[in-house]
Amino acid sequence: MASPPPSSSEAAAPTPTPSPSAATAQALGGELSKNALKRELKIRQKEEERKRKEEEKAKKAAEAQNAQANKPASADDEDMDPTQYLENRLKYLAAQKAEGTNPYPHKFSVTMSISQYIDKYESLEKGEHLEDVSVSLSGRVMVKRPSGSKLVFYDLHGGGFKVQVIADASKSDLGEAGFSKFHSNVKRGDIVGVTGFPGKSKRGELSIFPKTFVVLSHCLHMMPRQKSAAAAADANLMKDPWVPGKTRNPETYILKDQETRYRMRHLDLMLNPEVREIFKTRSKIIAYIRRFLDNLDFLEVETPMMNMIAGGAAARPFVTHHNELNMRLFMRIAPELYLKELVVGGLDRVYEIGKQFRNEGIDLTHNPEFTTCEFYMAYMDYNDVMGITEQMLSGMVKELTKGSYKIKYHANGIDKDPIEIDFTPPFRRIDMIEGLEKMAGLSIPKDLAGEEANKYLRDACLRYDIKCPPPETTARLLDKLVGHFLEETCVNPTFIINHPEIMSPLAKWHRSKPGLTERFELFVNKHELCNAYTELNDPVVQRQRFAEQLKDRQSGDDEAMALDETFCTALEYGLPPTGGWGLGIDRLTMLLTDSQNIKEVLLFPAMKPQD
Amino acid sequence: MEALKLWNLTSQPLKRHLLHSTTSITSYAFRRTPRTLLLRSSSSSSSTASSSAPDIDKPTGAASRAAGRNRRAPASPTTSTSDREAVRAIRLKKVEELRSKGLDPYAYGWEKTHSANQLQDIYRDLGNGEEANGENDHVSIAGRIVARRAFGKLAFLTLRDDSGTIQLYCDKERLIDDQFEQLKAHVDIGDILGARGSIKRTEKGELSVCVLSFAILTKSLLPLPDKYHGLTDIDKRYRQRYVDMIANPEVADVFRKRAKVVSEIRRTMDSLGYIEVETPVLQGAAGGAEARPFITHHNSLGRDLYLRIATELHLKRMLVGGFEKVYEIGRIFRNEGISTRHNPEFTTIEMYEAYSDYQSMMNLAEEIVTQCALAVLGKLTLDYQGVEICLERPWRRETMHNLVKEVSGIDFSELGDDLEVAKKVTLSTLGNNLDAKDKASIEACQSVGHLLNEVFEVVVEPKLIQPTFVLDYPIEISPLAKPHRRSIGLTERFELFICGRELGNAFSELTDPIDQRGRLEDQVRQHEKKRAEAASRNADKKEGTENEDDLYEVTLDDDFLTALEYGMPPASGMGLGIDRIVMLLTNSPSIRDVIAFPVLKVQQ
Repeated sequence: MASPPPSSSEAAAPTPTPSPSAATAQALGGELSKNALKRELKIRQKEEERKRKEEEKAKKAAEAQNAQANKPASADDEDMDPTQYLENRLKYLAAQKAEGTNPYPHKFSVTMSISQYIDKYESLEKGEHLEDVSVSLSGRVMVKRPSGSKLVFYDLHGGGFKVQVIADASKSDLGEAGFSKFHSNVKRGDIVGVTGFPGKSKRGELSIFPKTFVVLSHCLHMMPRQKSAAAAADANLMKDPWVPGKTRNPETYILKDQETRYRMRHLDLMLNPEVREIFKTRSKIIAYIRRFLDNLDFLEVETPMMNMIAGGAAARPFVTHHNELNMRLFMRIAPELYLKELVVGGLDRVYEIGKQFRNEGIDLTHNPEFTTCEFYMAYMDYNDVMGITEQMLSGMVKELTKGSYKIKYHANGIDKDPIEIDFTPPFRRIDMIEGLEKMAGLSIPKDLAGEEANKYLRDACLRYDIKCPPPETTARLLDKLVGHFLEETCVNPTFIINHPEIMSPLAKWHRSKPGLTERFELFVNKHELCNAYTELNDPVVQRQRFAEQLKDRQSGDDEAMALDETFCTALEYGLPPTGGWGLGIDRLTMLLTDSQNIKEVLLFPAMKPQD
Repeated sequence: MEALKLWNLTSQPLKRHLLHSTTSITSYAFRRTPRTLLLRSSSSSSSTASSSAPDIDKPTGAASRAAGRNRRAPASPTTSTSDREAVRAIRLKKVEELRSKGLDPYAYGWEKTHSANQLQDIYRDLGNGEEANGENDHVSIAGRIVARRAFGKLAFLTLRDDSGTIQLYCDKERLIDDQFEQLKAHVDIGDILGARGSIKRTEKGELSVCVLSFAILTKSLLPLPDKYHGLTDIDKRYRQRYVDMIANPEVADVFRKRAKVVSEIRRTMDSLGYIEVETPVLQGAAGGAEARPFITHHNSLGRDLYLRIATELHLKRMLVGGFEKVYEIGRIFRNEGISTRHNPEFTTIEMYEAYSDYQSMMNLAEEIVTQCALAVLGKLTLDYQGVEICLERPWRRETMHNLVKEVSGIDFSELGDDLEVAKKVTLSTLGNNLDAKDKASIEACQSVGHLLNEVFEVVVEPKLIQPTFVLDYPIEISPLAKPHRRSIGLTERFELFICGRELGNAFSELTDPIDQRGRLEDQVRQHEKKRAEAASRNADKKEGTENEDDLYEVTLDDDFLTALEYGMPPASGMGLGIDRIVMLLTNSPSIRDVIAFPVLKVQQ
């Protein structure tokens, strides 16, 4: 046995540690300023309050479940008060350390994963045992069913798979007394390593019969109980695995409470096996995009996340400060301008997949940090980029869904039937102004920058009872009308193309339609997924557009774009004709995982501070 | 591959005869589009942004004066403002002339059939003076004009694209219409051109596209810096990276290699079954390392947030959640000084694997770095700033104690726990070789572990030129590492050194939540103590900001500690500095050479 870790003497204080706030307050009292101390105490108090609430919740849940499951109450200490439970576990650990046992072993050699184990031994006959084979598995105990003091059944989970462990005193290298003592201290939630032989139970369930059984890490808290242990025990977790494009229903999850799921993602992942598939899907989506662009000879680059100027988009940025340089910095809101500078520098095809930051509210589709992919491709225009978009997205859907262009999505809520979204290329295209005129029976004045057009669109909004909160600029009015008449029709992937110049300051004017730009947005399920254009590369026009922004700001638009002088100078060295493109990866992941809330696809979403 | 078909996907042929009234745009009224989660929204950023927008492109007064004294280098980047303005004015006039002739100085696309390099490759065997004029030899290329020589009825242009360069052979007789006149009148060095024609190797052996027709795709307004007189202004090279890349194509190679390194690391991790994840940049508590964090404020939440200084704590929470092999490649932020080795934002990979220990991470580090070297260099020996480095495995593995003993002669394992004695021995042994700063650092050490580490940093680190794993760090300086299974007072931790620089840091992860809480609380206490001392020193000095380093706040990540209480499997983890790996493999002396847009001091 390993000698006790040197630091354990302080950690393994004989009595359970006193309330941490008291300890810290004492310890810090000497050095901290009064305010800092207060703050510290407040945080502590909040934390304790939160824990208390959590524990109460867990307690209630446990009580309810215990009422259902008519198990012997003493079977697993689970009728216990959660605080008491935690204290008992801490005492047990302290005792172990005092005995000189390291309760957290350094290493356990696993010979195969649970899924490999299932593949290899699933074909055994009922009751067949391979006693001369030795296998080491590890994972988390999610179910414990003692059957007397000499036989304990466990469900061991790992990597999204599950196997039964049949711990039998007669096969263990512990004595009978040792066996019973040891297993009474193995709790639901513990991470264990077992070494034993494979076999199937008489009922035909694939199991492992351990000779040795080691607890590798301890779960000190009472795990929320599975609603129906029997149902979960029946089928293997992955018998009918969820795949992208299928619907999901978090209402059926073992752990349902959204706050807990998002704040304690580790619990969510432990208890709701589908959740791990969401994040695997997210990883696959990003890997697919990378592979797709790499095959087109794109170069992946990294541009700064902290800038002197936050350019390339319309959004309120986060502000921070570099101490030593005494410099104010903004978190980027888009990588666009830097990526175009690299194209000027001669990297003809570049892309960046990365975080953007916007200092805005948090809701079902917005998180302060989110992930995008932007690419820029010299000598291409927006028509080419539309073709690439179709190939990329349809190819991705087909690969992830294993062969279909169609996905199911609960667009109208989890209690309504899901809709079907069809990614079969080519995608529908709607010319924005033409489409709007047709759908709404309008005849919009050609000079969109003029007062006449503004008045006409105001009247149109009034007529159709479409609200546009002030300022009622032409761009905003148009946007509302497009939202009402066009976007609503875009359930299957649809390109809305040729936006007016007044809406698109970084896009190039249309080669044949005055007043419009060569731009498209891709809508799926009525939401914008991509935004792309033939890039504006005339530095004179670009400066004029920035100047207009400045005018707008002076006349009250507090979010007009700042002139980025470095970027404008770069354009003066010559940006080749270039097609540029951006995609919201979180939104795409939401579609492919039937998620209605962006928090479902972020491992650690931003949450409001708890009261 | 479906995707491969796209290689030849090109834009519609250039329509040169479009008229634009767009230069007379006067009434743009851009408003932000409705708030979207996405990207590239069409307009405007914050008002706060612009108010600070410094005109960083403006040459400094000093530069203008220098150019004024040295007027004989008009095409260099130090061209004075007036020269630049003169060139710009002339070229803007050309833009107008092109438009008046119905030509578009800013084209919409170009159908390219080949890259310069592909042509050099295909026609490698074409003899001097020979032409290839078959149907397949009619090619179309595009790129930037970087050199230009014109004689009467003949002009030679050098065109550079992403892949390399090729000559454009422009013969008045062969060019359609009056294009030769247009070439002479309107094409400048720096313009982006598309050209079609057949292939010819000149008598002098230069492979050329014998141009039939061409189009100016983008008219450049500013003169390129002269490659030979060079972009010597280092500061400007970093500030205007695109100019640097145009003038010095090898600069772009560093970024190509960087992409290769990152891609190779990903390939290695994926092939080992690791899953890539993304954890938050903005955090309520900045944990996982000891460094001054950047602070920002979220308006609608009404709370301060930290920019992450490591990805460690969130990735470990993934292990608690049941992922067994995870990694993240991402940006880390530290509010520290800038130098040739430090940029406030930099890129790391952190990886965590359940049921493994730090021994297996050493193998993984060797695997990753050697794979990257093979991908970028094709071999395992390399030159870094004049020193030959050999990456052949296995790399040296030695404990910190032994290395310190080897270099300094001090055997810390015999020194015992008495800090004062240890300091005396250290100072008397090393005394003559230490400068005042090192001595002060040694005096300030709070424990024998800190002292050992200090001695290691001063005397051993610079000597670790060939790849070396330094093992078994003192527990006092390793708050997230598991206690060593055999040696009391040490942890199962290693750092990887190459060229005297730390490239990686790894441990058997501490999984005991009680031990972990104790150690983090200790860390906070120690930091608060330093902070209080610094604050009082500063108060004494009144205006001193010298010790500001210790003035930031360190918070405990309670969510992480709670997660550990649910049980994390035994695991090991490692972080590698990607910028430093790229520096090593591209023989770059400064981190600024491997970051496309490094942070620089504000220009006066």
